[in-house]
Amino acid sequence: MIRIDGQLVSPGAGGVYFERMVKGYRVWDPYRSKLAALCMLDESVDLTADMKVLYLGAANGTTVSHVADYVDCVYAVEFAPRPLRDLLVVAGKRKNIVPIAGDATRPDRYAPFLEEIDLLYQDVAQPDQAGILIKHLPFLKERAGIDGGMRVILMLKTRSVDIRRTPEEVFAETVERLESAGLSILNTCWLEPYHHDHAAIVCGGGER
Amino acid sequence: MTEYWCGSVDDEGVFVPFRGSPAELLVRVESLKINMQEFRPLSADLIEGSGFFSGRHEYLRQLREVTILQAQGVIEAAASGKDAELLQMVRMLDQLDEVINLLSERLVEWYQVINPSFSQKGRQGSVKRVLPKIRRSRSRSLRGMADELEGLIAARTSLAADVSRLAAQVIPNTSELVGGLVAARIMARAGGLEKLARMPGSSVQVIGAEAALFSHIRGNSPSPKHGIIFQHRRVHNAPREIRGRVARVLAAKLAIAARIDFYRGEADPGFLSSAQGLIDGIAGGGSE
Repeated sequence: MIRIDGQLVSPGAGGVYFERMVKGYRVWDPYRSKLAALCMLDESVDLTADMKVLYLGAANGTTVSHVADYVDCVYAVEFAPRPLRDLLVVAGKRKNIVPIAGDATRPDRYAPFLEEIDLLYQDVAQPDQAGILIKHLPFLKERAGIDGGMRVILMLKTRSVDIRRTPEEVFAETVERLESAGLSILNTCWLEPYHHDHAAIVCGGGER
Repeated sequence: MTEYWCGSVDDEGVFVPFRGSPAELLVRVESLKINMQEFRPLSADLIEGSGFFSGRHEYLRQLREVTILQAQGVIEAAASGKDAELLQMVRMLDQLDEVINLLSERLVEWYQVINPSFSQKGRQGSVKRVLPKIRRSRSRSLRGMADELEGLIAARTSLAADVSRLAAQVIPNTSELVGGLVAARIMARAGGLEKLARMPGSSVQVIGAEAALFSHIRGNSPSPKHGIIFQHRRVHNAPREIRGRVARVLAAKLAIAARIDFYRGEADPGFLSSAQGLIDGIAGGGSE
């Protein structure tokens, strides 16, 4: 990841959402983007130029545009028509974004569009976030051996899972489900002070 | 054999391309039934080895043509529903109400500074009655604002009439049961006619009372009896003891009405008269 004076930035043409520019780079605001917040809190998170990324919950394409600046290509899945419109505008300028109108609970509907991916990133406001993530594991590229690298990032919106339970309970249960699905947890953190009641869970491949 | 957007791969691992325009490719993808248990995603090696695409850029370019077409279709479908405009009109109406309230309060306070003896006590509610007085005030600037507010109030009145009229066309059955305005508000709060049509009656009953509902789910309070539905006279005019029951029956019938509106799109006199009879029977103090 590129940092200038402690600020996270991404290389690419600016003017996507009135983001600030520093020395020709686009400032990636951790208060706006959960992935940027994670990168600030966990320096080991890295996006590389050879990565193919599946991004669930692409929304307006703000974070997607930064990811696309770093990686080979992003498959950006979004369900709601209104943010989809903005996503198409962002994808118009960045030719390595493949926008997909789809419901993340039904990967079978858009599976033919996807290819093997290196990183699964999920940021959806749904009750069954662990279940959605597990459904998408078959898209991950099977690597020879386990290199211990990052394969999956889940931004857990605890408030969308169950408002009756505390964020900590929801978090613990989610981690358990991911582990029993064969994923190895590399790191977890709450996104304070940037985002409230959101946890990031970074997983490696494990044996599938 | 596994199917992909650009063709299929047979059991020997041989890629068989599907040739066609982006629209034809999209139709094909949408007709595919994918079994996720057996599905293996396309690999970069396979794409390259097929020789069908001249390179990575070309692959992504052609793929994007198809997915962008698909996304555009979804966006258009969402905007073309008959309920889409009604939804925006209702939201505009509700926000106009908020704005008018805020501006009226400010206007009255301003007027009180100019005319310290003025008090709203005993002049119950409506700004409409104070407005003419304010428009005769000696501050030119205040008079100008009062004129603007009067314009807003007039616009609000005419928008409300438009909402009722359009609701009677778009959601005839729900409109018949609770009036166009309330029907349109319930639909807007549900997020559209399709969402409302898929909602159980119990949800329709408490739509608009989310704060009370979640407080109840957390176990801090009794369940809400009614949400937006309360705005209808049959609910708010009902005696307190049976209000909950009226709301429940009305909501159940509204859920059915919404389904008729969404799937059939026209008024059903048979359903309406039996529903009205049932609701009136309960509202009139009868038992179920």
